[in-house]
Amino acid sequence: MILVVMDHDGNELRKGALEGVSRARKLAEALGGEVAGLVVGPGAEGVAEKAKDYVSKVYVVSGPDWEAYTAEKWAKAAHAAAEAAGARVVVAPASRTGRSWTARLAVKMDAALLEDTLDSWAEGDKVYATKYSFLNRVLEKQAGTLPAVISVKPNTTPLAEPAGAGTVEPLAVELGELEKKVEVLEKIAETGGKVALTEAEVVVTGGRGMGSAEAFQMIEQFADLLGGAVGATRAVIDAGWRPYAEQVGQTGKTVQPNVYFALAVSGAVQHQAGMNKSKVVVAVNKDPDAPIFKETDYGVVGDVHQVLPAMIEEVKKLKGA
Amino acid sequence: MKYVAIIRQVPDGESKIKVDGGRVNLEGATLILDQMDEYAVEQIIRLKEAHGGEAVVVAFGPERTEEAMRTALAMGADRGVLITAEGYVDPVTQAGALAKVLTEEAPDVVFTGGQQADWDSQALGAAVAEALGWPSVTWTTAFELEDGHAKATHDLDEGAEVVRVALPAIFTTQQGLNEPRYPTLPGIMKAKKKEIKKIDAAELGVSGSKVEILEQQIMELERKQKIIDGTKEPAAAAAELIKLLHEEAKVL
Ligand SMILES: Cc1cc2nc3c(=O)[nH]c(=O)nc-3n(C[C@H](O)[C@H](O)[C@H](O)COP(=O)(O)OP(=O)(O)OC[C@H]3O[C@@H](n4cnc5c(N)ncnc54)[C@H](O)[C@@H]3O)c2cc1C
Ligand SMILES: Cc1cc2nc3c(=O)[nH]c(=O)nc-3n(C[C@H](O)[C@H](O)[C@H](O)COP(=O)(O)OP(=O)(O)OC[C@H]3O[C@@H](n4cnc5c(N)ncnc54)[C@H](O)[C@@H]3O)c2cc1C
Repeated sequence: MILVVMDHDGNELRKGALEGVSRARKLAEALGGEVAGLVVGPGAEGVAEKAKDYVSKVYVVSGPDWEAYTAEKWAKAAHAAAEAAGARVVVAPASRTGRSWTARLAVKMDAALLEDTLDSWAEGDKVYATKYSFLNRVLEKQAGTLPAVISVKPNTTPLAEPAGAGTVEPLAVELGELEKKVEVLEKIAETGGKVALTEAEVVVTGGRGMGSAEAFQMIEQFADLLGGAVGATRAVIDAGWRPYAEQVGQTGKTVQPNVYFALAVSGAVQHQAGMNKSKVVVAVNKDPDAPIFKETDYGVVGDVHQVLPAMIEEVKKLKGA
Repeated sequence: MKYVAIIRQVPDGESKIKVDGGRVNLEGATLILDQMDEYAVEQIIRLKEAHGGEAVVVAFGPERTEEAMRTALAMGADRGVLITAEGYVDPVTQAGALAKVLTEEAPDVVFTGGQQADWDSQALGAAVAEALGWPSVTWTTAFELEDGHAKATHDLDEGAEVVRVALPAIFTTQQGLNEPRYPTLPGIMKAKKKEIKKIDAAELGVSGSKVEILEQQIMELERKQKIIDGTKEPAAAAAELIKLLHEEAKVL
């Protein structure tokens, strides 16, 4: 049996849940058994009615104890469901929170942890996965023993189609001492742009070379014209010109758009870690030796304050035509 | 109070990575204290400075990890414990060994890096906490001690939250937590004499790894590198760029 932990927003399953189902089905084909699901937290009962179309059985963990997420609680719920299902493999989304509770779950199950995987499969008594390492610069293949916990990198896997109604089973999970040690005091909402950065087909990122917060109006205008999202480098966040939610890179967001504009961005490895899988990379930089040009498809050496306004005019012409 | 930073030695992001025979070859690479772990070391030194006590660095890794540990000692940590093991060992197995050392050390607060610059793993902090039965908080951007508890702000998938955590607990770092200091010359001199205790991982029950790395390859997409000189006629360069994006790349 394979267990897939299905992320949701309280009403609907998230895309990551359906990517997880696809992975779980592929593993179940090789290892035998069926795919069970788990939904946890506020709204779980309602979501389970949708989740059951994808798996043979959905476990539901909900109630007053399960209103706020903590890694300790989610790991406990997943462990309980894995035991109830007799699952040898647990699949979960490799979101930030997913990656923290799956680490705890792997210890509980004494399992091999395959983290942030691009693909995964099983053969014999082993699971295999591909993933990036070395700040996204290396592609590696890993093999893990069973039992295993596999987290799925977002946007790597086709979304599963419904496969007929399974059953829904509430699962009572008692909180222990450990799960009471973290208390959530306050939520801080993200202050992001109009277009979600990680979903955008076009990302326009400005770096320190933009020179000021005001200069980002040009970036915003260009992004709006293309229906894209605004990104920023850490230097820009540290300067207070843009909110952290827009940071692209190792400690910010990972994006993989159709086209990525790096404007007055030097192209540090930590920045590249968040954008080097973009389909087409465009850079404008006044320094012809800037590292970003090695990672660029189309570039202009020049002053962004002269080149970007002209780019905006050209796109307007194109859209007008 | 006692504070521990779990650290690792990794290749500097600036140095080029080589692959020989399907394996990353670190020969010739500059190896440094992981920059995400630098925040952890800085944090325990600050805690010691503010509240007194001891700041200890602990690591699981090959012998060469001692160099990164000396850097942490030069920043101001008091002493180190290094669990030695060559080759890749998965975080769950590492957590078992680290938990044994931490049980012995009995710290109040533990920090470690939010993501490792070699394996790109985010698991170690939470895994060690689970092995100890302690709570963990990932991607911590602000931290303070409060009557036997910690109050921490940490990043979620979207947005952030403030939590109150019973100690002992493990926190993983995120940028913004602090500005790590540079080691000073006197600090470097003193670090040479500070104690580093080495323990063979096998003595802590480590035999092998649950995860094996089979094959590695450099993952660099071929980029076209069509670079236009726009220093003299920026408007013409911009026009050419947009034309290329529209007609050749077909992304606009
Ligand atoms: C040993 C092995 C190594 C793999 N290596 C990679 C990899 O490096 N990168 C990656 O993205 N995916 C790899 N895969 C995954 C593989 O490409 C498929 O995603 C997966 O096997 C399922 O594909 P499928 O169901 O479409 O079957 P098919 O692709 O039609 O495969 C049919 C049979 O061939 C086996 N097979 C498929 N691909 C490989 C392969 N590369 N080597 C050996 N056997 C194979 C499958 O397990 C299956 O038994 C590997 C799979 C296996 C078994
Ligand atoms: C642990 C760690 C994590 C990190 N995580 C991230 C991360 O997630 N994201 C991130 O971005 N960084 C991250 N960094 C920081 C990273 O190393 C770089 O410092 C940062 O990316 C630099 O930002 P920048 O390119 O805007 O600034 P700079 O490096 O200062 O580059 C500015 C560029 O603008 C060009 N320029 C200046 N003026 C003009 C002009 N008028 N016209 C055209 N070009 C001009 C310059 O030639 C230069 O190339 C991290 C660092 C560490 C240590």
